[in-house]
Parts: sequence; C-alpha cells; structure tokens
Amino acid sequence: MRLLSLRLKSFRAHAETSVDFATKINLLHGPNGAGKTNVLEAIYYLCLTKSFLTRNDAHALQRGAQFFEVDGTFQGEQRASTTVRLAYVPSEGKRLFRNGAPLVRLAEIVGELPLVILSPTDHVLTDGGPEHRRRFLNTTLSQARPVYLDDLLKYRRALKQRNALLHQIRRGGRLAPGTLNAWDEELVQLGGRIIFRRRQFMEHFAGFLAEAYRLLDAVGEEPTMEYVTVASTHDASDAESIAVRFRDKLDSLRRRESEQGRTLAGPHRDEVIFRLGDFEVRPYASQGQHRTVGLAIRLATFLYLRNRLEETPLLLLDDVFGALDARRAEVVLDLLNSDAVGQSVITAARPEMLARHVQFGTGDHNAIALADGSVINSSVTTGIDRSESLEKDEVNTVDATG
Amino acid sequence: MYLTSETVETLVEQFSKLPTVGRKTAQRLAAYVLKMPREDVVQLAEALVAVKDRVMACTICFNVTDNDPCPICASAKRDRAVICVVEEPNDVLALERTGEYRGLYHVLGGVISPLDGIGPDDLKIRELVARVAGSAGGDGLSEDADEPVTEVILAMNPNVEGDTTAYYIGQLLGALGAQVTRIARGLPIGGDLEYADEATLSRALEGRAGM
Repeated sequence: MRLLSLRLKSFRAHAETSVDFATKINLLHGPNGAGKTNVLEAIYYLCLTKSFLTRNDAHALQRGAQFFEVDGTFQGEQRASTTVRLAYVPSEGKRLFRNGAPLVRLAEIVGELPLVILSPTDHVLTDGGPEHRRRFLNTTLSQARPVYLDDLLKYRRALKQRNALLHQIRRGGRLAPGTLNAWDEELVQLGGRIIFRRRQFMEHFAGFLAEAYRLLDAVGEEPTMEYVTVASTHDASDAESIAVRFRDKLDSLRRRESEQGRTLAGPHRDEVIFRLGDFEVRPYASQGQHRTVGLAIRLATFLYLRNRLEETPLLLLDDVFGALDARRAEVVLDLLNSDAVGQSVITAARPEMLARHVQFGTGDHNAIALADGSVINSSVTTGIDRSESLEKDEVNTVDATG
Repeated sequence: MYLTSETVETLVEQFSKLPTVGRKTAQRLAAYVLKMPREDVVQLAEALVAVKDRVMACTICFNVTDNDPCPICASAKRDRAVICVVEEPNDVLALERTGEYRGLYHVLGGVISPLDGIGPDDLKIRELVARVAGSAGGDGLSEDADEPVTEVILAMNPNVEGDTTAYYIGQLLGALGAQVTRIARGLPIGGDLEYADEATLSRALEGRAGM
C-alpha cells in the first residue's frame, strides 16, 4: 500500500499543510517543533483512527481551532485508490469517511490500511508495564483480523459493565440472583476468543521476531516470548475450553472481586514475557538490549503483517535514527531501501546522515523540509531538475500561515 | 436568545430536546409550524398530549396500547404458544412489518446495564417468567392461560447488553423447561457480500448452516 498525498487542517502545528509522498523513502526534516511527528500522527489517525501520542483527541487540535481534519489518498496493491478523511469536533467526536461515504463504525477502516510505527520509545515494549505489551498485541491483531477488534471492543464494554456490577456489590447493593453469572458468561465467551487468537498469533509471530532479530544483526541469543493468561496451552486448546478455564478463574476470584469491585482476571490483565535465551528481558536486560528488542518487535510486526495481509504495511519511523548507532542505522536504512519494505515515512531533526545513504529527490525518495507547521521545501522531482526544485516551493506546498 | 420572538425560541428549545434534532433542525421545524394552518397545529398538539394521557402499557406484553390488553394480545388469530421477547415497543413494529411472525410479544423495556443502573428487576423479566410459568401450570383463570407456551424467542439486539440479557432470561426460562431460542445474526438480505463489514461476515461464516 502507498500513501500518495496527505492534507492536514488545524491539526497540531499545522494550520493547513499538504504533502505529496514518493514511492519508497520519505524523509520529513526540520527543527524541533516544525510539525514532523504530527504528519506521522495524522497518517496514524487515518489508518488506525487514533493517535499514538495521546488518548485525548482534543490534544491534536491546533490551538484555538474548533475542529481538525486529516485526509489522505492511498493506492493499494490490490485495490483502486482510496481517499480517507477523518474529521474531529470536540462536541461530536470523530467521523471517518471512505471515498466520501461516512463509516458507521470507525473500526471498519482498521486493517484496510495497514501500518507499523517505529519510535524511540519502543523500549517500553520490554521495560515498561504489561499494558504496553497488551497494546502491541491488540494493535497488531486488530489490523491482522477485523473480528479480533470487534471482539475486543465488545470485551471492553462487557468488562466495564461487569466492573460496574462488582462495584454495586462492593457497596452492598442488592442484586437479582444470576446477574453476575450472566455477565461472567458474556465476558468469558469474548475473552476466550481473544485469548485464543492472541495465542495463535504468538506462535506465528515467534518466527518473524527471530527473523527481525537476525536482520538487525544483533549478537547473542534470539528473543522468545511466552503468553501468560488464565489457561495454559495444555488444558485448553480452543476458544471454548479457554472460556471454561476463564470462568473457573473468575469463580475462584469471586470473593476478592466483590471486595475490590473490579474484574481481576482476563485478557485485560494478561502478560507477555520476552526472553533472550534463558533470561527475562524485562528485569535483566541493559538499556541497549531493551532498545534492540523493541526495534526487533516492531520490525517483526511489519514482517508479520506483510506476510498476513494482501497489502504491504506502511512503515513510519519517528526519530528512530537519532537513537541508533551508525552500523544499526545503516542496517535499517538498507532494509527501507530494499524490496522487503514498501513505502516508509521518516522523521529526523538532522537529515545529513540519511542523505549520505539515500538519494533523495530521485523520484523513489523524497525529502520534505518543514518549519513552523508548514512544508517549506520538497525534493520530489517530477521531471524537474533537482537544483531548481530546491529553489522554489513545489506544487505540493501550501503555506497557510503566510 | 437570538430570535426576535421569545415564543418561537421556546418552541425551538422544545424541539431541540428531541433525539436526533439539533438546533438547526429545530429552527426549521419551528419555522414550518409557524406556517402551518392553525387546525393542523392544534391536531399536532393534541396528538402529543394524547399519547401521555391515553397510552398505557399492555398488562400482558407491556407494549404501548390504547386498550388493555393490546390488539395483538387480544387477537384470536395469533399463535399463543410462541412469545417473542424484545427490548422496546419499536422492535415489535419492526417484527410486525415482516408479516412473518404470528405469535405474541413481550416487551422488556430495556436491557440489563449496570452502567446505567438497570438490573433485571427494572425490566419486565419477572412478568415474563410468570407468563411462561403460568401457561405451563394452567391456572385456569382465563381461556388464554390454558394454552401452554412452547417456545420463547429472544430477539434482543446483538450487542454486549443484549447478549447478556438474553443469556440471563435463557437461564431463568430454561429452568422452567421452556424451549428458548435466539434469533440468528448474520448478513442483511439485499446487502451484497462485498459490502458487509468484516466482523459481520466473519460471524456469518461462524454460524454457517449445512444444506
């Protein structure tokens, strides 16, 4: 899949910005606060309907703006081009349009425009809390399987309802017999399917993780993973029997749950343990190892989704090169330049190192300079001499701040 | 207040309290009412008051009605052995439009939702259980009660609350020995396969039937 063009309106630093993208590597460069990462955030919004920087959509509003709007045109390998537009108004929330038609459910778009983002904070995948690892599972699986996302959204709803009920119980509220039981049933059915698909995914993913680790030319033993949940692989091999184990677990926790007023087991409490050889990454790895494993997980996600989906995912790299040593940076750049990766969009404060390795402005690769939320220069050459294109603004440049 | 008439503004405010009506639509409705003949406006106003004064809940199925029992419960042509359980009166309308269903209804008045503070006792579930149990026992108070209920169809919406409510009722009625069924979920007829969203399509695949 390829992103052809993107337009941002009242989005973060951007009053109104249009960007055209080249087929392979796109470099967004410029000083801090120029709005480079916001372009990645806008792409993320279109593909996954949310931000990777904040859970509060209002944070993405330009200061003083009443709404923001992002739209992009994508060219599929299998499909005709698709235009996606996302509009956000604080009082009404987000609305998404595909080729002009409104989507009833935002989730419908997830997986259609696959995307993987690499960022300097990816070490949280192994040195952060379990919620980061669950989010990784959810984001990846939601893109790989639309049913997963549907189950996940329902599970969250059922969880909220069940917690509200447990809260009533804790406060001594009287309850019709069988009510909690009915919510247990809904929760374990949805949870059983989620856990089953996560486990299937982990088995499949292990090979891609090993491959990514080798690609990074990392020394030492390869990473492995283990999924820790309410049921072990031995005694529950399908969604139904996992649901049975999940129910047993809830039964055994009933008293504690009534005391605490919340659900204490299930996919929302599960954990993924990463290991290098025999030792657990989370407590024992060095900072460098956390960074390497984090990067490997993201690359493996890309390889996995590319293998699983018809469309090659778009790869976003947010300021990743600043944190890599020269050798590893070269490995990643070579990968971006290879056939293994389709289109990528990179942000960097200082583009010099990248410019030494990649021929920007050759048609395949594009370097876009940003300042104060505007494109000030784009090196895309459409038959234009490169030196000329560096002098004046390109067609794809809209400067609304002037 | 930015209208020149406070009376019109009051009407706009009243309209905008209605579901799906925003401020702009409310203004358009108010402007339309201004142009309507007086007798039409009187009819509208009377109709609004009448639904509050005359409409009641059927004491058998709890659907909205002017007469108790409601025309469906009173009809001799309906199959009294089947009860279809729905969330709201509007769901009865939807099922009646099919012309396929000839049984009776039971309107719950909502679904179990702890987040909204709604438990089974806030719905007409106890009444449903009594209806099914009463028919099986045959209390002989009326002719209707003699006919046993052979099937209860649960037609709640296919979401988390609807599923949970259906499960809850299923457990209660199952204990009475009644046959309980749940309406199927899947593809809308007339909707092309290629336009169905993936989740619906996957569910339809899961629930595929032999032929």
